Amino acid sequence: MSYIKIDKDKCKSCYLCMDVCPYKLIKKSNNIGTTGEYTVEFSDSEKKCIGCAQCAIVCPEIAIIEVNRE
Amino acid sequence: MSEKNLLKGNIAIAKAALNCGCSCYFGYPITPQTDIGEYLSLEMQKRNLAYVCAESEIGAINMALGAASSGEKVMTSSSSCAVALMQETLSYASSDELPVVLVNVMRAGPGQGYIFPSQGDYNQATIGGGNGDYKIIVLSPSSVQECIDLTYKSFYLAQKYRNPTILLVDGLLGQMAEPAIINENPYPDVDNSSWRLDGAKNRASRNIHSLEPNQTKLNQHVVKLYQKYQEIEKNEQVWEEYLCDDAEIILTAFGTMARSVKAVCNHFRQLGIKMGVFRPISLYPFPYNRLRELSIKAKCFIDIEMNMGQMLKDVRLGVLSNAHISFIGKPVGDWLKKEEIINAINNIIKEQYASI
Amino acid sequence: MQVYSIPKSIKKDSKFTFCKGCDHGVAIKLIAEIIDELNLKDDTIAVSSSGCSVLLYNFLDVDCLEAPHGRACAVATGIKRAHKARKDDKFVFTYQGDGDFASIGLGESMHSALRGENITAICINNTNYGMTGGQMGPTSTMGQYTTTSPLGRNKEYHGFPIKTAEQIALCDGTQFSARVALYDIKNILRAKKIIKKAFECQKNNKGFSFVEILSSCPTNWKLSPQDSHTKIKDELTKIYPLDIFKDTTND
Repeated sequence: MSYIKIDKDKCKSCYLCMDVCPYKLIKKSNNIGTTGEYTVEFSDSEKKCIGCAQCAIVCPEIAIIEVNRE
Repeated sequence: MSEKNLLKGNIAIAKAALNCGCSCYFGYPITPQTDIGEYLSLEMQKRNLAYVCAESEIGAINMALGAASSGEKVMTSSSSCAVALMQETLSYASSDELPVVLVNVMRAGPGQGYIFPSQGDYNQATIGGGNGDYKIIVLSPSSVQECIDLTYKSFYLAQKYRNPTILLVDGLLGQMAEPAIINENPYPDVDNSSWRLDGAKNRASRNIHSLEPNQTKLNQHVVKLYQKYQEIEKNEQVWEEYLCDDAEIILTAFGTMARSVKAVCNHFRQLGIKMGVFRPISLYPFPYNRLRELSIKAKCFIDIEMNMGQMLKDVRLGVLSNAHISFIGKPVGDWLKKEEIINAINNIIKEQYASI
Repeated sequence: MQVYSIPKSIKKDSKFTFCKGCDHGVAIKLIAEIIDELNLKDDTIAVSSSGCSVLLYNFLDVDCLEAPHGRACAVATGIKRAHKARKDDKFVFTYQGDGDFASIGLGESMHSALRGENITAICINNTNYGMTGGQMGPTSTMGQYTTTSPLGRNKEYHGFPIKTAEQIALCDGTQFSARVALYDIKNILRAKKIIKKAFECQKNNKGFSFVEILSSCPTNWKLSPQDSHTKIKDELTKIYPLDIFKDTTND
């Protein structure tokens, strides 16, 4: 099973990762981050993540700290 | 090496720098210091050392800043109006605590001025034109031999205190040849392994920067610098006294000026006047303490400079109100001659000190 | 299998302090990855400069010296030459903004290129002075609104912007000069390849290498991170084409 880990303390809510995820598995969470906006969270109930790491590549904050591919 | 040779001041400085292990020189031509860069260009290339004909004095001093971070002994040399261009980086080097040695062979100002003799950069060197609270060690030679000795000392003090150092040389001295010995560098090498930037191998990475967005930390940093300056002021005041022990009149002068002033002193001694000469060698730290001791016994001080009275304020700070203080000087041109100084002193004695 | 992790050359627990969506973070991340891949961490001395780029030393876990504004290439020259004099060659690169590299420091930058100093310069071009709040810089485009060109950059009144990578490519000492962008995955991967090539240029003692990175400045452009990337893609790359302008590394 592929998955990513997000450090919500580093997320500045630019949402660039949400745009690049091919399966839209990254969504706004209920947590309010340093910029006063909702940080992102990874939710993959249908196990769609392929571990492509595009989210990690575009993240300007290195807030996506891990990508694991099956 | 230990025989007397006829040496020009500029060449003596260059030879001494090489002799004490200076491995990096960066410079840009300006009269009257160009001989230093010319001499080193061949000597350093022969030894595979770092020499760059920089695009400007700004480039040169910043190359020196970078090179100093490696722990190597680095030097740049320039003159008056071009040293003005280096002031920003001297402030950075002071904050970064990087041991840059700068030789300023003075010409006349302000502005471009000309290559006429002058000692107009006393303020520029000792007070500085950079921003913020910082101090630079300044040494002033009066002979070619002292150019050599103080070049060694400049490198040593720069490394010892991790502080920029200026060797402030009269243009006259840079261009003048007299017998001197390139003796051995008497100072030990200073261990810089605790701070130099040479790659984070088997240790944590280091960074050297002057930016500090935390005001408490910036405050602490400047206070720490000033503790270092106090240490420098305590340890490194250097001066020369000539017949000062019983002197009632003490002449003060720095650099080459002190040589003619000594001849003046001899003249008055022959007339039975108790006169002495006090020559600060370290302009920062200025030898205030000794000057104050002398001021308790002496009745008057006459400061003599090839400028409009730049060291005068430091003489005043040393002497305070313990004695009379007068000034003789001119900003630019032929060095004040012995006779001119004697006449000026006679006038001062007649007008102001008739009672003593 | 873990396919992505924080680069080793990024300081532990460091958090970027750039604005939301700023491409500086991506650029620094790429540099860290390349330092890891080329195994340069123990031998690198980075030179940061004034502006947003100054804080590099807070993020990169390598030795770093801050240069006065514009002087990074001169400082890097001194570092490189000093280590060479002690026969202990180091990898030296600068990380500068466009104002630092191409305005106040153009003299130092261009002469380092002309001398063929064996260093690498990375220039973040975001077409304005970011840290001071978005003033007109040497790369601000014609018609661009900034706080000091409130009516738009005008050729009669303000003059023209500089195409830095093209200019640096003209210097004989330059061995590699390219422009990259970071507005999408493809370009980020291309940027990494090109920065790596520039680093290798130095590693192989070829001479001066330079990469200009078109970067977003969402705060001062007053655009969202997404719209900033669209602006780079649709507008800036037309003015500042993405290309390798000089590459003699295979000669």
